Amino acid sequence: MAELTHTLSRGSSVQIDETLCNGCVLCMKACPTKAIRVRDGLARIQGVCVDCLECVRVCPRGAVKGVTPPYSDLKNGEHYVVSPSSVLYSQFGAGFLPNDILLGLRAMGYGYVHDQSYTSEIYNFALELYIREERKKPEPKFPLISAICPVVERLIAYRFPSLLEHIVPLATPREIVTREAKRRFSDKNKCRPEDVSLLHITPCPAMSSQLMEHSLHDASNKDRAIGISAIHERIRQKAQEQAMEQDRVLHYSGGVGVGWGKSGGEIAALNAQSLAVSGLHESIRYLKKVEMGLLEDLEFLELRVCTEGCIGGPFTVADRYQAKHLIERLVRMFGEERRVKYNYVLKLYNEGWFRSQWKRVPLESGSPRLSISENIERQNKIEDLIRKLPGIECGACGSPDCRTFAEDVVDGIARLEDCVCRQDRGRREVAREC
Amino acid sequence: MPDLERRFTIRANDFVNAGEVSLEIQSILKHIGFNPALIRRISVCAYESEMNVVMHGGDGEALLKVSPNSVTLVFTDQGKGIKDIELAFKPGYSTANLKHREMGFGAGMGLPNIKESADSIEIHSEEGHGTTLNIGFELEGDFG
Ligand SMILES: Nc1ncnc2c1ncn2[C@@H]1O[C@H](COP(=O)(O)OP(=O)(O)O)[C@@H](O)[C@H]1O
Ligand code: SF4
Ligand code: SF4
Ligand SMILES: [Mg+2]
Repeated sequence: MAELTHTLSRGSSVQIDETLCNGCVLCMKACPTKAIRVRDGLARIQGVCVDCLECVRVCPRGAVKGVTPPYSDLKNGEHYVVSPSSVLYSQFGAGFLPNDILLGLRAMGYGYVHDQSYTSEIYNFALELYIREERKKPEPKFPLISAICPVVERLIAYRFPSLLEHIVPLATPREIVTREAKRRFSDKNKCRPEDVSLLHITPCPAMSSQLMEHSLHDASNKDRAIGISAIHERIRQKAQEQAMEQDRVLHYSGGVGVGWGKSGGEIAALNAQSLAVSGLHESIRYLKKVEMGLLEDLEFLELRVCTEGCIGGPFTVADRYQAKHLIERLVRMFGEERRVKYNYVLKLYNEGWFRSQWKRVPLESGSPRLSISENIERQNKIEDLIRKLPGIECGACGSPDCRTFAEDVVDGIARLEDCVCRQDRGRREVAREC
Repeated sequence: MPDLERRFTIRANDFVNAGEVSLEIQSILKHIGFNPALIRRISVCAYESEMNVVMHGGDGEALLKVSPNSVTLVFTDQGKGIKDIELAFKPGYSTANLKHREMGFGAGMGLPNIKESADSIEIHSEEGHGTTLNIGFELEGDFG
C-alpha cells in the first residue's frame, strides 16, 4: 500500500465580523500559534490556524466566530448515512437516552445511523493492543499521544514536530466511521460506497474543517461534517416524537463509548500507564514536557484542547459541566466497560483493519524556508531589536508580543515605527528638551 | 567566533523557574530550524544539565553557542563540585536528597542520558570549586 502524506487541514472555522471587531488585542494574544495580527484596527488571521477557537472564546464582542457549515435538507433518491459523535448524548438533558437520540436521527430520513460510540470502543481495544506492541519495541515511543483531537495533532505538527511520531498511528474512529458506515450501508442496500453521503455530527470545528477539505482517509466530497449546534433543534423535535417508539435498538456501546467525549474518556478502561489532560494551555504545557523527555514513564497521554474534553467543544450547546454530569450518569447506567468483544477486535486488528495509510508531516508556516545560517542571522537581528523594545507586551503595535513584533519587523511585515511605546518615549524626550 | 551566542542565569534551588532556560534554548533552536530529532537531543541535555545546576550545583549560568555546523552548551556553576566524576556518570548514582526525590528528581540518569544524547562532552569539576560541563553537537547531515 502506498504511503500517503497526511495532509493536515489548514482550514479554519474562524470568521471575523469586521462590523463588530474594534481591534482590541485579546484574540491576537490568546492564539497559540500567533496567527493573528491587528492591522488598521481589525484583527486578521495571517498565520497557521489550528482551529482551537481560543480566539472565539476570548472575544468580548462576539466579533470572532466559529462557524459550522449549515444543515441542509436531504434530497429524495439519495443515500444518506449519519454518524453522530457520542458528545451528542450529553446535549439534550436527562430526558433523552442515547437510543432516543439515534432514533430521532433515523426519523429525520437517514438510511443508516452509525453509533460512533461503539466504534470508539472498538478503537479503544485496538489502542490497547498497539500499546502492548509498543512495549515490546527496543525503543518505545512513550508516551504515545492520543490521535483523537485534531487540534492537538495540528499543534504538534506546527509547534512540536518532533512529537509527530508519538501520535498513535492507528486509523482514528473518525476515519473508521467514514470507511465503515458507508461500506455497511452500501453492502446492505446494493449500492456503491461512493454513492453514499455521510454526515458527521461533531462538537469540533477542527474535525469539521478537516472533513471539508477531504483530508480524511476515505472521505469523499459527498461527506460533510456539521456542528451539533447546527442540527440540535431538529434532532430534539424528532427525538421527542420517537421517544414512545422504543422497539428499535440503534445504540450498542457500553459506558466507555458513551463517556468517550469527556476528558478521561479514552483512558477510562485502558490497561496502560496513562494520563488525561484537557484545556489548550495545559495540553501545550504537557507537549513541552514530553518534548523535554520528562514523561517517558507514561505509556499513553490523552490530550484534548477543550476544557473537560469534547463535551466542551465549540459546537456544543449544553454547558460543559452539565454535560459532564449527564455523561457520568449515563456511564454508570451503561456500565463502566466496553461492550465490544476483545477477540472480535483482535481479529480485526490482525486483519489490518486499523492500519492507516497516512504519514503525518510537519505543518509549515508557508514563509520561505531559510538556511541555517540565514536563520542564525535572523535570530541575531531579532535579539538586537528586542533590546530596543520596552518589553511591556502591550500588543498595541498589532503583533501579539514584543518578540513577535521584532520578528515581524525583521521579516518586513511590520515597521519599527509601529511600536507605540517607542513613539511615546520619543515624544516625551522631545517634550523634556523643550 | 560563534554565529549566535546567548547566556542565561540559573539560580541554585530555584525550583519555580527550573526548566525555563532549557525551554528558551529549545525555542531558539526551533526558530533556527534545526531538525526536530536534533532539537530533542539538545533539549534533553539542556534540561538535565540545568536541573543538575539547580539541585546539586549552585548559582550558575548556561551558555548556548550556535553555528551552522555545531551547537555547544556550556553549563557553569560555583557549587560544591563533584568528588568522583566516574561515579557520577554511573546510571542510577545520585546524591539527591529527600526533598529532591519527593519532587520526582534523583533517578541518577541525568549525566548518563547527557552522555548518550550528546556527540561530545567534557566535564571539569573540583570539590568545593564548582563544575563546568561542555556539551557538543555536530550538525553534519543532521539538519535541514
Ligand atoms: N553540577 C553539579 N554539581 C555538583 N554535583 C553534581 C552536578 N551534576 C551532577 N552532580 C552529581 O552527580 C550525581 C549524578 O547526577 P545525575 O546523573 O544527573 O543524577 P541525579 O541528578 O538524578 O542525581 C548527582 O547526584 C550529583 O551528586
Ligand atoms: S482558532 Fe486558534 S489557532 Fe486559529 S486563529 Fe483562533 S486562536 Fe489562533
Ligand atoms: S477537544 Fe474535542 S472538540 Fe475540542 S478541539 Fe479537540 S477533538 Fe475537537
Ligand atoms: Mg540530574
